[in-house]
Amino acid sequence: MLRSNPGLALCILIALAAICFALFSGDPYYVQVVIWVFANAVLAVTLRFVLLIGELNIATAAFFGIGAYATAVASTIYDLPFFISLLAAPVIAGLVSALFGWITLRTKGPYFLLISFAFTEIVRLFYTKSEFLGGNSGMIGMFPPMVLNDYYPAIAITLLAAILFGLYLTERSNLGRVFKAIQNNEDIPRSVGLNVIGLKILCFVIASTAVGLAGGVHAYTNSVIAPADFTFFVAVLALAYVKIGGEGHIIGPIIGAATLTLAGQFLHSFGPYENIFYGAIIIGVLLLMPGGIIGLGKGFIGSSTVRRDPH
Amino acid sequence: MTSSETTMHSSDTGTAAGKVLLKAERLERKFGGLTAVADFSFELREGEILGLIGPNGAGKSTTFNLISGFMPPTSGQLFFLDENITSKNATYISRKGLIRTFQHESLLSEMSVADNIIIATTHRLKTTAARQEKMRKIAGLTGLENYLDVPAGSLPHGLQRMLSIAIALAAEPKVLCLDEPLTGLQGVEVSAALDLFEMIRSKLGITILLVEHNMRAVMRICDRILVLNHGRLLAAGTPEEVSQNELVIEAYLGHKK
Repeated sequence: MLRSNPGLALCILIALAAICFALFSGDPYYVQVVIWVFANAVLAVTLRFVLLIGELNIATAAFFGIGAYATAVASTIYDLPFFISLLAAPVIAGLVSALFGWITLRTKGPYFLLISFAFTEIVRLFYTKSEFLGGNSGMIGMFPPMVLNDYYPAIAITLLAAILFGLYLTERSNLGRVFKAIQNNEDIPRSVGLNVIGLKILCFVIASTAVGLAGGVHAYTNSVIAPADFTFFVAVLALAYVKIGGEGHIIGPIIGAATLTLAGQFLHSFGPYENIFYGAIIIGVLLLMPGGIIGLGKGFIGSSTVRRDPH
Repeated sequence: MTSSETTMHSSDTGTAAGKVLLKAERLERKFGGLTAVADFSFELREGEILGLIGPNGAGKSTTFNLISGFMPPTSGQLFFLDENITSKNATYISRKGLIRTFQHESLLSEMSVADNIIIATTHRLKTTAARQEKMRKIAGLTGLENYLDVPAGSLPHGLQRMLSIAIALAAEPKVLCLDEPLTGLQGVEVSAALDLFEMIRSKLGITILLVEHNMRAVMRICDRILVLNHGRLLAAGTPEEVSQNELVIEAYLGHKK
């Protein structure tokens, strides 16, 4: 698999390098930035994963938050052990998304987008009104156990990279092919015995579980979470990563997330004008390179990164 | 002859005494005030090729949507393999073995020919190797073996029609419902398609319900024909009977003065 796919081998090498950097670098700030890159990559990749069935899922921001809050509640209120608190994130996000998807994915047209947007804001308002969850100021005090403290950044990056790899493998499997078929023309899979609604829910639950786990990782990385971290704007930025990197291949949103997150570190120095640059970059990319960064790269490196599934 | 007499007549003139696979009883579908199909009863017997014809707007496609579960009937009953499937959805009915194709180029146009066929094997076959093998076999039968990597949307029209049949075959139907599979095909392609249908029936043992506008082809290949007009059954019988039926001639050509 690796020999025939140099792009994948390179990605794994970069992930390993990031883990080594987290283990051996003395600068916690840069390690933090690397974790942000991976967490944003997961947000963008899960957003794109639901795009495979043709739905724009703003609620990816909500499930990132639900995962973070699940971990925070498990760890600070119930004092559960580290790995169990972390596991609470994908489990709760997965269960909530199964119910949400079961209700909403029957709609056609733009309704899922609108409902997922509303859901994200409702969940955020719920946090702000819940004393239990710390209201507007959120929750504080999610720390990895002392013995793991030095290794936590490496663990975080490993988990986030594993999520990306898992989603990559899922997309390449027959399940990924079925998701794309549903987007292309859902009458065809329905006419040959596939349960289209069930498969849409499955796609949504996979993405939400994945982004939920990333939320749990985020809670331990930051030690502090607040409702304002999980507004729909998180999903808008994720969409920007997807569009800038290119949505033709899973590597697109990863490249987009890395580019914009790193650019963001530089743009912070512009203070309140920062968002103008994001806007300009997004508009520029959409106008000048509709295929995103990987669309540009396609011509130079041929099919090695942007490849069709082999038969 | 009235239409009810024709119906009764047809029930004892069918081809072989194959058992009834699909049965519709007083099927009706309304869209608001418009009645697309009304009081439509028929039987499809094992091993036959049953034609369903009628002028545009006669209710043929609605009938397809009803029997394949893509649309629920307003009233009436449907039985497939001795089970009442009236309220079942498309997924259930296609898993049970009734597979329909679509009019026009309804394909996974952005995906390769191979992927189009593999999608259809997904429910029945669980390993990649089995799906690949089935896909190659079906592609061979339908003349698509040299186009496996081509996006379905870039295929020539005739091959797109073949691909929609290949998709249906890959899902292993007991009953295959073909919705205007010959539209836009040239003379040689029509003959090849008819040979394929005959082969599907005789070699693969699949019963066929055919909606088609190409009269010559329908007359040549069908054992029995149902004629719909304004959503109602106008006549039924062998190709000879139907082609001499005055009501049918009138429906297609208008009143004789």
